[in-house]
Amino acid sequence: MKSRLRELRASRRWSQAELAEMLGVSRQTVNAIETEKYDPSLPLAFKMARLFQAPIEEIFQDDSH
Amino acid sequence: MIPNTPEQVWVGSKEYSWRMDWATNGWLILAAVTSGLGDIMFSHLVREAPVTIQWVVAALPFAFILLWARALSRWIAGMDELHRRITISAVLFAVSATLFVIMLWHRLDKAGLFQAMFPATGGTGARWDIATVGHGALLLTLFYGLGHARFAKRYL
Repeated sequence: MKSRLRELRASRRWSQAELAEMLGVSRQTVNAIETEKYDPSLPLAFKMARLFQAPIEEIFQDDSH
Repeated sequence: MIPNTPEQVWVGSKEYSWRMDWATNGWLILAAVTSGLGDIMFSHLVREAPVTIQWVVAALPFAFILLWARALSRWIAGMDELHRRITISAVLFAVSATLFVIMLWHRLDKAGLFQAMFPATGGTGARWDIATVGHGALLLTLFYGLGHARFAKRYL
């Protein structure tokens, strides 16, 4: 799944560690999502959407088809 | 709340916490120690003791193992979703691999393979049994490390 997480994080000048703390996850998880090695669960995706005040579809794009 | 991470129990890592390591794995260490002591004591002292004492000495390590399983599940439950996925996969691999090795070893031992390979040990009464808590703990640790490295590679 394609992710704009890095772009959104950078626009707010947050580090991965800062974003991880806000989301209640580890920095490695943030990195794995940004590098598209890991797709977050729905609750975590909703948390990100609330944090960035954007719909989930603006943060993640399904590229499976 | 800062989630737990696997590095908290890896000696030598930047995030190592002896407090977390002891809280998570202390019971397993106690199980291995009491099992080893019990093995040593049983043949000399415990056999002379009442049956109740023999039962307690034999079963105590397994009570510690149950407490370790509870501590381990609490540690994993405190992880974030990605680390929890990796760690559960690694633990499942470690348990399966350990069971496999111990059962295979036991079978080969019963078939007399080790005595045939090392005949000099036959008369010394040397035992090839690895179905002990100490051996199990070592195998679990080894296979957990291998499993974690394998599953973490996919995501980290």
